[in-house]
Amino acid sequence: MDKKYGVYICTGCGIGASLDIDALSEVAREEGFPVKTHAFLCGKEGVEFLKAEVGQGINSLAIAACSRRVNFDVFSFDGCLVDRVNLREQVVWSHPRDQFPALTEEEKAEGTKFDRVQMLAEDCIRMSVAKLKQIKLPEPYKLDNFTSDVLVIGGGVTGMAAALDVARAGYKATIVEKSGALGGFAAQMRMQSPVASPYEDLRPPVVADLVKAVEANANITVKTDTVVARIAGQPGDFTVTLKKPGEKHPFDVPYPLPPEMKVDEKGNELTAEQQFEIYKQYNEGKADVLKFDPDGVKFGSVILAAGWRPAKLEGEAFAHLGIGQIPDVVTNAEFEQIAAKGKIVRPSDGKEAKSVVFIQSPGKGEDDGDFSYCGSVTSIATLKQAKYVRDDYSDGKAYIVYQHMRTPGLVENFYKSMQQDPGIFMTKGEVIGVSKNGSSLMVEADNTLLGEKLKIRADMVVLAAGMVPATADDPVVNLAYRQGPGFRDNDIFDKYADSNFICFPYETQRTGVYAAGSIRRAMTIEESMEDAAGAALKAIQCVESSNRGVSVHPRSGDMTFPDFFFQRCTQCKRCTEECPFGALDDDEKGTPKPNPTRCRRCGTCMGACPERIIGFADYNINSIGSMVKAIQVPSEDDYPEPPLRILALVCENDAYPAIDIAGMNRLSFSADVRIIPVRCLGSVNVIWIKDALSQGMDGAILLGCKHGDDYQCHFVKGSELASIRMTKIGDALKSLSLEQERVTQKEVAIDDYLKIPEIINSFVEEIEALGPNPFKGF
Amino acid sequence: MSERYLAEPDLGFINEVIGLGGNTLKKCFQCATCSVVCPISPDNKPFPRKEMIAASWGLKDKLVKDVDIWLCHQCGDCSTKCPRGAAPGDVLAAVRSYAIADYATPKAVGKAVNDPKKLPILIAVPAILFAVLSFITVQFGDTMAGIFKSIGLEAIGFPWAHHQEPGVIAHADFYSTWFVDIVFLPLAAFVVLVFALGLRRFINDIHEQAVADGKTTQRKLDYVGLVKGVVAVIPTILKHNKFSECTENKDRSTAHMMVLYSFIGLFVVTNIFFFTLYFLHAPGPYSQLNPVKILANAAGIALVIGSLLMIKNRLARKDQASSYKDWYLLGLVLGLGLSGMLTELTRLAGAEALTYFMYYIHLIFIFNLFAFLPFSKLAHLVYRTVAMGYSNYAGREK
Repeated sequence: MDKKYGVYICTGCGIGASLDIDALSEVAREEGFPVKTHAFLCGKEGVEFLKAEVGQGINSLAIAACSRRVNFDVFSFDGCLVDRVNLREQVVWSHPRDQFPALTEEEKAEGTKFDRVQMLAEDCIRMSVAKLKQIKLPEPYKLDNFTSDVLVIGGGVTGMAAALDVARAGYKATIVEKSGALGGFAAQMRMQSPVASPYEDLRPPVVADLVKAVEANANITVKTDTVVARIAGQPGDFTVTLKKPGEKHPFDVPYPLPPEMKVDEKGNELTAEQQFEIYKQYNEGKADVLKFDPDGVKFGSVILAAGWRPAKLEGEAFAHLGIGQIPDVVTNAEFEQIAAKGKIVRPSDGKEAKSVVFIQSPGKGEDDGDFSYCGSVTSIATLKQAKYVRDDYSDGKAYIVYQHMRTPGLVENFYKSMQQDPGIFMTKGEVIGVSKNGSSLMVEADNTLLGEKLKIRADMVVLAAGMVPATADDPVVNLAYRQGPGFRDNDIFDKYADSNFICFPYETQRTGVYAAGSIRRAMTIEESMEDAAGAALKAIQCVESSNRGVSVHPRSGDMTFPDFFFQRCTQCKRCTEECPFGALDDDEKGTPKPNPTRCRRCGTCMGACPERIIGFADYNINSIGSMVKAIQVPSEDDYPEPPLRILALVCENDAYPAIDIAGMNRLSFSADVRIIPVRCLGSVNVIWIKDALSQGMDGAILLGCKHGDDYQCHFVKGSELASIRMTKIGDALKSLSLEQERVTQKEVAIDDYLKIPEIINSFVEEIEALGPNPFKGF
Repeated sequence: MSERYLAEPDLGFINEVIGLGGNTLKKCFQCATCSVVCPISPDNKPFPRKEMIAASWGLKDKLVKDVDIWLCHQCGDCSTKCPRGAAPGDVLAAVRSYAIADYATPKAVGKAVNDPKKLPILIAVPAILFAVLSFITVQFGDTMAGIFKSIGLEAIGFPWAHHQEPGVIAHADFYSTWFVDIVFLPLAAFVVLVFALGLRRFINDIHEQAVADGKTTQRKLDYVGLVKGVVAVIPTILKHNKFSECTENKDRSTAHMMVLYSFIGLFVVTNIFFFTLYFLHAPGPYSQLNPVKILANAAGIALVIGSLLMIKNRLARKDQASSYKDWYLLGLVLGLGLSGMLTELTRLAGAEALTYFMYYIHLIFIFNLFAFLPFSKLAHLVYRTVAMGYSNYAGREK
């Protein structure tokens, strides 16, 4: 496209009152950009004015007004590049004139002093102008083949509900279920816990209705006795190989080499070719990830609803509870099956079990922890099963010994109603042991609410075994991705299918695969069905976005995608390995094969690439690099005491809005810092920092999200990777005889705006203490 | 702590406590707010949190033997502050009611007192008895006088007739004083016996339980010490010290005190007139200026006002459970006071038939109150006093 530039400075919201607009305009004019000012750009008149400008052929606009986070819909013009210069929040509001006074006429004439705020505003204009020169209008990536069908893994309540939701929205769904029938665990239940006021009566399971609805729905295909051998390709165009459980299949998913197999005896890393040879042996009989199954089934996205299995309570840790030794000690799952068959009877002799003790935590010393994978669902299930005892026998007694009883939200009413039952007895307590006592059992507990050591006679004892997610045993999704078949971070989520569950509950680290139901946390049937609806909508959003060639999440609608200049690729594989989403599969030489619809457009690959051959149409090494270079670095040649210049590369997800909010709250910070938003700290290429320091800037600060196991990074690994890269930059700085402390990274959450001045100013003070960059002025 | 306690919930007990007004016993979730807000609970093992779980678990033995249920004055502070809508005060009241029935023999009487369906029988027994005896008094006065004369009672100063002179309305003409005492003296003995039997078990039980629960430093029960403890708490009871520590139900204290003092007054008056009649041979009716009579009238008025206030308080408190046991006793006390006052007023007004009828009613009320004393809620008079005495003796003070 032929670019026709225009710079538009808004003088509203205090901008005109604070800045020398003529001088500001002059900066852009020097670059050859026409400049116009307006008192109220986002007003009706202002927008009309801009539209008229666009009508006259302007297609690359620098709008110097408020933050890009506001009025983005107002300043949006089809077919135009729009860059926003944040004069309001990050210049005038955060640098009020009472603290950063403008120069008097005499001072101006004298020429030894300078106006920091005006300098900041002028640099902002320069950066925008430089950027506009470097970016292009993005064009969407179009898949060669596209399907909108949704694969649902798991035929339990969640899977069926998800498939029904997908079908109701007008899409086709296929359920694969590893067992012989639909229904999952819920099909083995007697009753469901209540979900509506007055929370007193149990309800018959909904499973049968769901199975009926699924089977009657023409848009749903059901494949029982089937598992996924592999899922290859990318969203919108997955090629899925299905097989019988346990069967060996040439398209079984290959596993990546464990780290110890990637090195020789001396610990030196093997070459890409050598590694590939070992990899082939390691995955003998399995086709490589880049080879697609010609008989594979095409799907657009995947809903992972493989659910859970009851935890096995075995071994020394549970010996005192008699499980495995005493037949009348059973798990909650086993008890449910007994209950589903009829009245509650003892497994040992088939006699009526009128006195049942429900044990919620293993007890015996150390801590008050529950059985693994226990939570609110097991608490609710226990209350429900206690009710079975009471429903079956009018003189029945159900005892619940718990360390924690979790009945969230309105389910508390169920707890209350069960508490009201004269035959239900609950106490917090530490179970010491279960033993045989004649034909019955004796449960002993300490530290009970009854204030003493207790024993309870029981016909049966039920242990609240937890709900282990299917992903604890198996990757399940079996993705034919170079990074491996499963989700990489399941360990930090206790093996639950990874999902960023506070911010984006359904997202896994694999675009197009949406986890729902008890595979991502233990859920009741109702919660699972609700969760299924969420995942179904995400799966549909994914196929539709892939079809339009835009990003799904979290940069929904972003039309850019990473572009590789392969001629210069050195096959270092950093991009393949560092991509948080496994979007890249390298070939045997190590050349990355991009899968654009798997990509989330964070730019981590761009930050990783030492050859700097990866970029996006409107966000690349040059666009940011030229912004850095556009910053004016005054030296002693300009002023007797030149100001510092510090580069701030700021994550646009959390840190950038936090700075905006600081400005909105009129919190001020140093005016010597130049803020450049980045998609993610993971996209920060060290060349920008090197460039900044070699042009005389005094320091660089990276502001991004918290990383680690409790990361808040929108792109999971970005801020963590940045921190690793920043430690490595130290050597490069040393070679320039610069102090390592000139580059730092700080964690900022979106609500940390009160800390912004302290974070920025203390870094500026540290740099002041180090003194100016010796390269200044070269 | 010693041995492991075998918890054996008694579903029947739970249902009975629910029936006696403790219908919120299952609502407790053991936050212990009640024990914290209770103004009179001791710091060591405070009530009523532990009583609440024992009740919801149906641990009858633990509760019936628990001295703490008697230390509770049902202020209602706990019930008001309970975040769960449970009313520990009411639950303890129900448990006390159960305990009273449990310690009293024969059990059938206890059951009948707490059962509204049995009320007609409780009224019919004295009604028939007094009707028969009154019939004898009126119809066979001369015969009875003859019998007294022939066996020589009149000769030693105990004639049949206890009335002053003709023309004066004397209730003895309608219902012989002899018959009054022939009924009530054995009844008093019976009441004392029932209490004695109950107390023997009660004292051993509360001590045993207090030792088991670690609520006392006394290992072996020493009766002299216990009696000293009871004596020591008498002033507390008379002054209603514990009652006045309550915040929610403070107003109940006055009414309760009025009723207590009027009962004491009437007890004193009855004994003086008994002595006057049989040993000074001066039968009533007595002059209104007689100091004893003044005490009697004052006590009667206090009884009526006090019981009316209690009824008013109870009606005003919507959040407090009121069960049959409460209304039975309140009705009885008010009825006793009113019928007594009306008997006197109608006598002074010279309405002979009416005053005899009122006297008859009054006797029925007295019988009910007296005969069923160890079985009704009124038994707290004895159990609470002993429990407070024990608590004093056992060092279980706040």
